Amino acid sequence: MSEPVWGPVHRDIVDLLADHPADVPAVVDHLTKLQDLLVRMPPLLDSCPLADFNKLYLTITTTVLDGLYDDRFVDPVFLSRLDVEFAARYFDAMRLWTDSSAGTPKAWSCLFERMHGPDARPLPSAAAGVNAHINFDLPFALVTTFDHLESEPMDGSDQHRDYLEINNIFAEKIPQLRRGYLERWQLLIDMLNGDIDDWYQGELVDYTRDVAWRNAQKIWQCRHDPAAHECERNRLDSTAAALGRLLLSPLGAFLQ
Amino acid sequence: MASDVDTAPLIGRADLLKSVRSALLDDVAQGHTAAVFLTGESGVGKTRLLREVGAQLRDAGALVLTGSCLDIGDASPLHPLLQALRRFDAELSTSHTRTSTAVRALLQMFAEETAGPDGAGALLERVSRGLHLIAEGRPLVLVLDDLQWVDRSTRQLLLYLLAGLGDLQLSVLAAIRAESLQGAHPLRRVLTELRRLRSVRVLDLAPLDRGATEQLAAAVVGRPLGAESADQVWQRSGGNPFVIEELARDLRDGRDGLSDTLREIFLARVDALPQHAHAVVHAVAAGVEPVQHWLLARVVRLPEQELIEAVRATVAHRLLVSADDGYRLRHRLVAEVLEDELLPAERSALHRRYAEALTSAEAELHQARLAHHWRLAGEPARALPAAVAAAREAERLHGYAEAHRHWSAALQLADAPAVGTRTVDRADLLGHAAEAAHHCGEHARALALLEELAGAGAMSSCALHIRRARYLAAAGRSAPAEAEYRRALEAHDCTPRERATAAAHLAELLLHLGRYADAGRRAREALELTAAVDGATSEVVLASAALGFSEAYLEDPDAGLAVVRRALEIAEQAGGPDDVACAYLHLAELLTGPLNILEEGVVVARRGAERVAELGLGRTYETRLLAIATNGLFRVGQWAEAEKVVAAALRHRPSGADAVELLLARCRLSVGYGDIEAADRDLDAVATVLAGGGARHVIPLLTLRAGLAMWQGRHNLARQAVQRGLTESRSDDVAILAALVWHGLRAEAEAHASRTVPVDRTAVRRLRDVADRVARKSEKAARPVRDVVDGFLALCDAEVSRLDGNDPELWARSVAEWDRRNHPYPAAYSRLRQAEALLARRSRVATAGKLLREAYRTAQGLGAVPMTSEIRTLATRARVTLDEREPAAGRDGATDAAGGDELATLTAREREVLASVAEGLTNKEIGQRLFISERTIGVHVSHIFDKLQVRTRVQASAIYLRNGRG
Repeated sequence: MSEPVWGPVHRDIVDLLADHPADVPAVVDHLTKLQDLLVRMPPLLDSCPLADFNKLYLTITTTVLDGLYDDRFVDPVFLSRLDVEFAARYFDAMRLWTDSSAGTPKAWSCLFERMHGPDARPLPSAAAGVNAHINFDLPFALVTTFDHLESEPMDGSDQHRDYLEINNIFAEKIPQLRRGYLERWQLLIDMLNGDIDDWYQGELVDYTRDVAWRNAQKIWQCRHDPAAHECERNRLDSTAAALGRLLLSPLGAFLQ
Repeated sequence: MASDVDTAPLIGRADLLKSVRSALLDDVAQGHTAAVFLTGESGVGKTRLLREVGAQLRDAGALVLTGSCLDIGDASPLHPLLQALRRFDAELSTSHTRTSTAVRALLQMFAEETAGPDGAGALLERVSRGLHLIAEGRPLVLVLDDLQWVDRSTRQLLLYLLAGLGDLQLSVLAAIRAESLQGAHPLRRVLTELRRLRSVRVLDLAPLDRGATEQLAAAVVGRPLGAESADQVWQRSGGNPFVIEELARDLRDGRDGLSDTLREIFLARVDALPQHAHAVVHAVAAGVEPVQHWLLARVVRLPEQELIEAVRATVAHRLLVSADDGYRLRHRLVAEVLEDELLPAERSALHRRYAEALTSAEAELHQARLAHHWRLAGEPARALPAAVAAAREAERLHGYAEAHRHWSAALQLADAPAVGTRTVDRADLLGHAAEAAHHCGEHARALALLEELAGAGAMSSCALHIRRARYLAAAGRSAPAEAEYRRALEAHDCTPRERATAAAHLAELLLHLGRYADAGRRAREALELTAAVDGATSEVVLASAALGFSEAYLEDPDAGLAVVRRALEIAEQAGGPDDVACAYLHLAELLTGPLNILEEGVVVARRGAERVAELGLGRTYETRLLAIATNGLFRVGQWAEAEKVVAAALRHRPSGADAVELLLARCRLSVGYGDIEAADRDLDAVATVLAGGGARHVIPLLTLRAGLAMWQGRHNLARQAVQRGLTESRSDDVAILAALVWHGLRAEAEAHASRTVPVDRTAVRRLRDVADRVARKSEKAARPVRDVVDGFLALCDAEVSRLDGNDPELWARSVAEWDRRNHPYPAAYSRLRQAEALLARRSRVATAGKLLREAYRTAQGLGAVPMTSEIRTLATRARVTLDEREPAAGRDGATDAAGGDELATLTAREREVLASVAEGLTNKEIGQRLFISERTIGVHVSHIFDKLQVRTRVQASAIYLRNGRG
């Protein structure tokens, strides 16, 4: 094989990924180290599209950590487990990509593929990462967390409230997205993910906030059925990948 | 063609093989456990590696049991273990009669198990005892393939055994398909938690590199490959050994052109099969592996000789493998390839034949398989009774998750139009399904099933409300649960007994919600209701406990205590064993908890433990009562006694939360004693059990980790443990949070004092914020909670001052707080720090000396080695004499003219150990006698040497005998 996947920082990234952070402070630490490495990726310093996502994700996770210290959440046990499990999926995707595995989620590989390309713009890149992470990783992270805590995704529960609180953090931390094109962007997510019925029933607003939550509830019901579960995973992956590609296409530049 | 069946050599895995082997056998200390989890994509060679390691370990003298998990999605609990035992039973020749008997006995135990109240835990214990007998002292290795399909019961068993709770030297080697971990698989979290333990490794099996790929291909082909072919194999296989082998075989046999995908390779092979062999492959693909020969014969319906030839052909074409217990597809990939090749009608015909064949003959997993095949054969009416039987079978083995799945399947089947409504009582199925869902934690599902049951009108409205309330409470939805209990009480069709039950449970719920006054009112109401009903002792006990605690929290402890004592009397007179046990438990909890009457609480707990053991409830209630006694003894400073009690409790081999409670109690002692290895081991064991779920014990675990790290001077580790704890603690648990915050501040203070690690100012700020929050919240808490919190907050304030000037007054306050509560250990620690602060200011040196001596006496008496040595270091630096006895001290009665009792400094436990040393026993023998580990004895012995200032066992024994003992 020719060039290592992560270029000059390949070794460092592989070493970093060998570690599996198990609590939120460790996740923040991990993302910080990763950021230092990703900005050193060629062709130009600070030009790596993944670094654009990583930076945003680091900011958000740091805010979540502060929130945990500051008693911002009703059920910190749930939220911290979710945060770790959520991050683990991003690291998993990177690991699979490192091994050139065919199992790398398509939702992520569309962003990873851009790593060496010259023309990915920061905002669409970050948005593509957020897309993969929320539309693909998050529902599964939710299900695993609930399963581990012997609880379940129930509307109106403490956990649901805390989960929505994270949405608020995302909104706070993506001011550029919030202004102007967030609506457009979320509209796209809904069109791709949603059942067309939901539009007509006028539940759009509630629905947008809850796409991943709803998907988690769907997966929850079929979590013991390997075939159905796999089917759902492929569906989410394809949808998220389609949206990711759209975001990274010339069309996505309209976001910038 | 025969040579084709042989597997190609194992290439590129030599290092891995070696490290797995040593992780599972060579590096495992006597009596310890270890585990290796292999993850990797399909075809990367996991199964092959399991086989290879298994064979090596067997040759090295280990007892190896192998099983695999099934993907039929509705398997039965503990299936892989049962399969492993059956295989082993079949392998045993007559020469191993003893082992064989043990295997049969364990299998028999499974056959006879019946569901009981504590069945799940007791079953784990019985399994581990059985395995113990089978192992006959050899290291035991459990090899499990396809762990991604593991059932919940097997998962719990593995964690239980790996935590060392089964008292078994066990290694686990398991393979997991990486693909399945990508979704929401429960093993994901389990592995994240286990990964951090020293005894567990999670190894990712990567594809082969280019060199190894060529080597493997060359080995299959029998000669080195040309550059072009080598390149092609490498490109197409991506280093996946399974694919490499198949591609190389095509290459060798000169099949036209290389197929592009595995799918094409296998389809071509299947097409090349003779007709009968074709049928055999499809039949096995539709079956549940392993498919036994007789079963296959009935499904394909061929004359014996033709069948054997057909099977031979499939084996030769590398589609099937044959083993003693039946046939399997060579690889799951083959099943996936074959799936689309049959017409639906063909497939259901195969399932029908399986079902018919199984109907007439018993086989492994009988009912589950019958249900599976009848369902896929499109015969719901015949699948239904099998599904019901499979559900009952699963419940018998406490596999509620599996039972729930079978009940749900039964419900679906019952809805099929082909099943007549009269053949089945749908309400009955709903009731069972709901209860099983409730037991396995599927709360929403349990509630949904209950709604359906309510719609069917088969239950009285009162019973329905009570049941709904129970499910809601289990789901943590307290407010609706409360409303349901209220509705039950208002229902017209409520029997007096039901009303009493509802009121008692409501009182308990309110107590958990912290609404003590409401709880007390409801409890009184419940007690009145029970007076009118015969045999409502359980309700009396429950309501009395709720009343007792609510009174204690509302600051009328005596009244509350009287109620609970009375409940115990009633239980003894009129109740069943469970009622007596519960009453003891509540009384002991009340005394050692909110009332802080520790000595009496310990006495009650121990008396209760004896009593419930007489009643035959040793495993559950005795264990819990002894845990209460242990914690009480620890706090009042009777550590030697606590150690004895916890050892006795662990002999019951408890599981789950009970085990965690005891291991944490023992660990707390080890941390105090400074026995780092024992403490580490218990912490790892707790982490192993908690990997299966259960967040409640995480904070005590992390607090102990921090405490241990501090004695080792590893301040960074302590800091990390506390940080994790702060981000994962429920903020309403103020007492345990306060203890954690103290550990965090102490870690920073120790870092500051040691000057090895810089103080983390952000951490200090955060910790102080949390401490403030705890203080604010505890103001609203009940008096007993506030009391505990105040002690820790005093410690927190004092630690903060250590970072800046160290104020002896703050330490004096902490001393007073802990003395008031009669907790000598933290009191002694505070004295040590107060003395340190005074000495640093060079003021009141005499007071400091007095404080140090007092702390020293306490620490010595407890056997708290790290604290003792810290006191000594400080005393030496400050030139304080520690041995100086205060003239007025009455406790020195032993210091008479005869020369004084040289054993005075020893703890009670150390004296016991010394007595045994003087008898000439080895550490191992002493350990067996006193029910503690050999290592702990070693620690005691070294403390004894230290205190008596001797270097040999003979010298120590001499002093013992000189002082008139023995």
